[in-house]
Amino acid sequence: MSATETVAPLGGDKTADLAWIRALYEFGQTAAYGADPLRVRQDILTHIVQGFDAESGSIALIVHGTEDELEIAAGTDLPQGIVGSRLQRGVGVFGHVVATGQPILINGNAAEAGLPLRVSEPRNRPAHSAMCWPLVVQEQIIGALAVNRATSRQRYTVEDLDRGQALASLLALVIANHQMNVDRDNRIVELSTLNETLQRVNAMLEDAQGQLIQSEKLASIGQIAAGVAHEINNPVGFVTSNLGTLESYLQRIFGLLGAYIEADRAAPAPVTEALARARVLRDNHDFDFLRGDIVDLLRESREGLVRVKGIVQDLKDFSRTGGEEAWEMADLHAVLESTLNIVRSELKRKARIEINYGNLPRVECVPSRLSQVFLNLLVNAGQAVGAEGKVTLSTGVEGSQVWIRVEDTGSGISEENLGRIFDPFFTTKPVGEGTGLGLSVSYAIVLKHGGQIDVESEVGVGTKFTVRLPIRHAGAAAAQVSADLYKSAA
Amino acid sequence: MAKLLIVDDEPNVLNALRRMCLNRDALPAIPDPEVMTFTSPVQALAYLKDHPVDLIISDFRMPEMDGAVFLTEARKLQANSARIIISAYADIEGIMRAINDAGIFQFVSKPWSDQELKAAIVQVLGHRALLVENQQLANEVRRQRGIISEQQAELERLELESPGITRVRWGEDGSVLLED
Repeated sequence: MSATETVAPLGGDKTADLAWIRALYEFGQTAAYGADPLRVRQDILTHIVQGFDAESGSIALIVHGTEDELEIAAGTDLPQGIVGSRLQRGVGVFGHVVATGQPILINGNAAEAGLPLRVSEPRNRPAHSAMCWPLVVQEQIIGALAVNRATSRQRYTVEDLDRGQALASLLALVIANHQMNVDRDNRIVELSTLNETLQRVNAMLEDAQGQLIQSEKLASIGQIAAGVAHEINNPVGFVTSNLGTLESYLQRIFGLLGAYIEADRAAPAPVTEALARARVLRDNHDFDFLRGDIVDLLRESREGLVRVKGIVQDLKDFSRTGGEEAWEMADLHAVLESTLNIVRSELKRKARIEINYGNLPRVECVPSRLSQVFLNLLVNAGQAVGAEGKVTLSTGVEGSQVWIRVEDTGSGISEENLGRIFDPFFTTKPVGEGTGLGLSVSYAIVLKHGGQIDVESEVGVGTKFTVRLPIRHAGAAAAQVSADLYKSAA
Repeated sequence: MAKLLIVDDEPNVLNALRRMCLNRDALPAIPDPEVMTFTSPVQALAYLKDHPVDLIISDFRMPEMDGAVFLTEARKLQANSARIIISAYADIEGIMRAINDAGIFQFVSKPWSDQELKAAIVQVLGHRALLVENQQLANEVRRQRGIISEQQAELERLELESPGITRVRWGEDGSVLLED
């Protein structure tokens, strides 16, 4: 067959062929088209129509997820509305090619061509000429490609059909490649969305785990506390009692000694040998110092015992964090006011108190326990602020929760300490001033109320504690956590 | 004279309480106290069978029996004794038994304050003395009105003085059992 009889890519100038093929290949690689697959196909088709020196062409693809449905995916010189229309496998030229997997050449009327026969002989009268190839990728038919030439032009030959088959394979690859690019992009989007969801769920899980660990810690401390409190109170009881008795004995002894000393002073010189010995002993043993120091010694020991009693009381409180007390619908502002009355005098000496109440509904709670929480937060705030500090107390509603915030302009909490402030026995206060139970007890109380305490702090700027409580007490905090998780995962 | 019996499984607690009761200098003072202590409630019950006391003070948590059980038994032996529980631990159920069954006059928590505990002891002893006196006067009136016989009144007086003295324990062979 001569060169003049063939269309450009099918045996013309080799360089031009290669350039054409390369251009076709590049269409498949063009990611820029990713957002508009229709345009890509249209461009590819136009390229092919040019390559086959055809007037028009069309591509039909098997609809994703079906086996029998074809969709006109691209077309040139087609009436409007054809692109996107559906065809059945086995029906029509495309349907036939997809069903059989065999290319066909049509010269003249398709019906006359005697489908499914390969029509090779050109008819006498001028008729339109068309070729249709299946698009096959890895032995899977994904659709079909057709090109048409007007009736006035030279007809395609069987050789054109055979050469075109190779191009059809290439096109199939390009389309599949493009589809894969699109799929990949979609997957990347899907994956990053999934990843975000996972990160969110993960953060919530970590949060929930943190809360669980914290409440676990508190629970075990509570159990130990109840037992230890009893064991400690026994010895504290008798040591306190003995110190009292000792003090009273010493008073008697000192009384007696005082009388002896009086007698000694009144003793006429020269003194007896025994009295002289007693005087030496008295001087050597620094009797006056002893007498003074014994008083201090007893007082300090008693102070120590008072501290031990305080710790034991805290521990006992710890094992009772609101589980067994009566729940009521309480006005939290009234609770806050009564708490403020307790600490106001102490706070006032150091800090300005600013109050910023919102509109709070009545909240189902154990008021005495919440008062303990507010007391802790207010006392802490008071201790944190310097001479010219400010403590802000504000409240508000947020959905089904209320919040109470205690904010101070104090020294702040360092980052390394921030993670430990709710741990039992963690304290930065000087020995004897804090047991390190205040915040962990508060945490346990708020947890029992189904709420949470958040803390934000900046060293040198101040600290902000926010207590969030559900308006209606509805079971454990864990229920809320799992509900949140469900929400974010859905 | 005030006869006190104290039971606690910890000897140090007993010593501290004994010192506290006997120390007349720390007010309020217990009038003329005489203190018996036991680490074992069982031994304390044995002692109570034939030693009348005015006041029984007991710990709550003890290995042999708890304070409520001990004081309930003690009450059966000496109905006119006053009873106090002093404890670092008690649940509601235990406190209910102590009040309903053992009829305690006071519940004092550990660690106790000497002053408060002594004040409680003095008050309970006074209360108990009033009850006993009231009972004696009532019997006196009943006797005078002929509601109870002189013999019965005397028996009750003796029983008040020495609980158990009016009850005779018979052996299987018909002998009279006397305890040491």
